Amino acid sequence: MITADRTTRRLTEEPERKHADEDGPQKPDLKKPAGPNELLKRMKNVDPDQAKKYRQRSGQ
Amino acid sequence: MNPILAGIETEYGFLVEGHGPEELVDDATLFVQSHPGQHYAGWDYRFESPRRDLRGFVLSQLATDPQDALWDSGRVRVSDAEIRSDRVLTNGARLYNDHGHPEYSTPECWSLRELVLHDLAGEEWLRRTAHSLATRLGRSVRVFKNNSDYHGASYGTHESYLVPRSLGFDRVFAACLPMLVVRQLVTGAGKVGAESGAWVDFQMSQRADFLVEVTNAETLFRRPIFNTRDEPHGPPDQWMRLHVICGDANRIPSCTARKVGLVKLALTLAAEELAPRWPIRNPVQAFQAMSRSLRDDARIDLEGGSWTTPRAILESYLDAAEQGLGLKPDTRPLAMSLLSDSSWADDLACIVGETRAVLESPELAAQRVDWRAKRGLLQMYLDSEQASWRDPIAQALELAYHDLDPEESLFDALVSAGEVDESWPPAEIERRRFEAPEGTRARLRGAIVREMASQITHLSWSKVSVLDQEWMLPPDLEVFDPLDSPTQIEEFLRKIKKAP
Repeated sequence: MITADRTTRRLTEEPERKHADEDGPQKPDLKKPAGPNELLKRMKNVDPDQAKKYRQRSGQ
Repeated sequence: MNPILAGIETEYGFLVEGHGPEELVDDATLFVQSHPGQHYAGWDYRFESPRRDLRGFVLSQLATDPQDALWDSGRVRVSDAEIRSDRVLTNGARLYNDHGHPEYSTPECWSLRELVLHDLAGEEWLRRTAHSLATRLGRSVRVFKNNSDYHGASYGTHESYLVPRSLGFDRVFAACLPMLVVRQLVTGAGKVGAESGAWVDFQMSQRADFLVEVTNAETLFRRPIFNTRDEPHGPPDQWMRLHVICGDANRIPSCTARKVGLVKLALTLAAEELAPRWPIRNPVQAFQAMSRSLRDDARIDLEGGSWTTPRAILESYLDAAEQGLGLKPDTRPLAMSLLSDSSWADDLACIVGETRAVLESPELAAQRVDWRAKRGLLQMYLDSEQASWRDPIAQALELAYHDLDPEESLFDALVSAGEVDESWPPAEIERRRFEAPEGTRARLRGAIVREMASQITHLSWSKVSVLDQEWMLPPDLEVFDPLDSPTQIEEFLRKIKKAP
C-alpha cells in the first residue's frame, strides 16, 4: 500500500522541466526476493481476505 | 505499409483505507486532483461522440451498470467537470476520473517502444498521485493495474488505433476480430475464478467473463469483443478509430507491446488485403472457452462445420506477415529489440518473431506472458501450502500481482527474483513522464501545457484554443523536438504569443 509516511521509496520533487540527461529516480530500496523461498515468504504476507474486500465500480 | 498511431487508456482499480465502493467516485476525483505535477485542468468534450457507431448510425443512449446506479441513488454530487477533474500533462497524456476510476490515457504514439514507455510512465504517475492523496487524507491508498474486482465489476484497458476511413468497417472487422479472440493466448493477464458462468480455477483473460456481444458501441455494460465507437479525434472523413476494449491490463511491458503490435499487424494485413480469413461461428463463446481452456489447441468452431485452434489462427497472421509483407522475424526479447530498432517495419518484425518464439517455448512464455507468469507463481504457492484455487488466498495473491506498489506487488517480486526478465530503462521511463512522443501532435499539446497552460481556453485531442484563437491538431501532424531549429512548436507558440 502507498502511505504518506513511506520512507523506503524515494519520491523526487517535481522538476520545473525535465532534464533528459539525468538518470531519473532512484530504484526503490526494496528487499529483493532471491528465489522461490523468498517469493513464498512474500506471498505468505499477503492478506488472504484482500480480494474478498476489494470492491470497485463498473468502468468501461 | 504505413505506421499506425496508437494509445492506451487504463482505468486503474484503487482503494482508500477505510472507504467503501460508494465513495469511489468522490475518491477518484480527489485522486486526480492530487496529481503532483504540472498540468492543465480541463478538457473540451464538445466534439466527442461516444454514441456514434462505426457502422453509420448513432445510438440514442448508452447502457449503465445497475449496481453502480444503486450506489449512486440519493447522492448529491458536484458538476460533471469537477467530478472528472480532467488533467492534461506536459507529456501529452490525460489523467481523469472515469466512472470512479483514475484513468490514464497515454499520448498518441507511433512506435511500440514509445507506447510501452508511456504506459510505464503512466504507472509512475499513478504511484506518485496515490502518494500525494495518501498524504492529503492521512490514509493509505492502494492502486491496482487490473480489470476486475472478483465481484462482477470490470473496468477497462482500452487501445486506440488511428485507421484510414478508406479501409472501411467490413475489412477492419474481418481482419481484426479473429486476432482479438486469440491474442489472449500471448497477451492475457490471467484471472483466478470466474465472474460469469461456472467456476474455473484460472483463466487467461481478465475480460472474457464480461464480453456478451460480438459488436456494439457499448463499454459499460453488454461489452463487445469488437467495439464500434466511432470517435476518430480527427477529421472523420479521413480517419476512424479502432477502439479495442477486450484486452487486459498487462504488468509485463513486453506483453503490452505484443498486445498492441498484434492488432497493428492485423490492420497492416487488412490494408494490404493479406489478412487471413477466419469465419468464427460464435466469437464470444470461442473467446470465453479459450480463456478457460488455457490451451493453444482449444477447439474453435468455424462457419460451415469445420474447426481450428487459437494457435493456428495466430500463426496464420505471422505467416502472412512473413510471406506477404516480407518481414524477417526478430526473435530477441521485445524489450531489447524495440529499444534498439526504430522503424515501423522493425516493430512488426519484432512482434512476429517474438510471438513465434513465445508460442514455441513454454519457458519463454512463462517469463514474457502475464497469465503464464502469474499462474506459475500462484501454483507454486498453492502446492507449497497444499491450498486450493478456490481458497480466498488464490484471488488475494492474484490481486497482489497487480498492485502498483513495488513493496507489495507480486509482479515486482517476480522481476526482482529474475523470473520475469524485463529491462526497460528507468531513465527512459522517467523522461516520458514529462515529454511527449516525438513526431506526434501530443508534442504540441504537451508544449502548450508546459509553456502557457493559464492561457488555454479549450483543449482536446484534436483542437486547442489559446488566447481566443483555435487551432486544429490533425492526428497525423508531425511535430519534432523543440530543441531542433526552427521547429513547429516554437513557431506555433510564437504565433500564439503574438496573437492580438
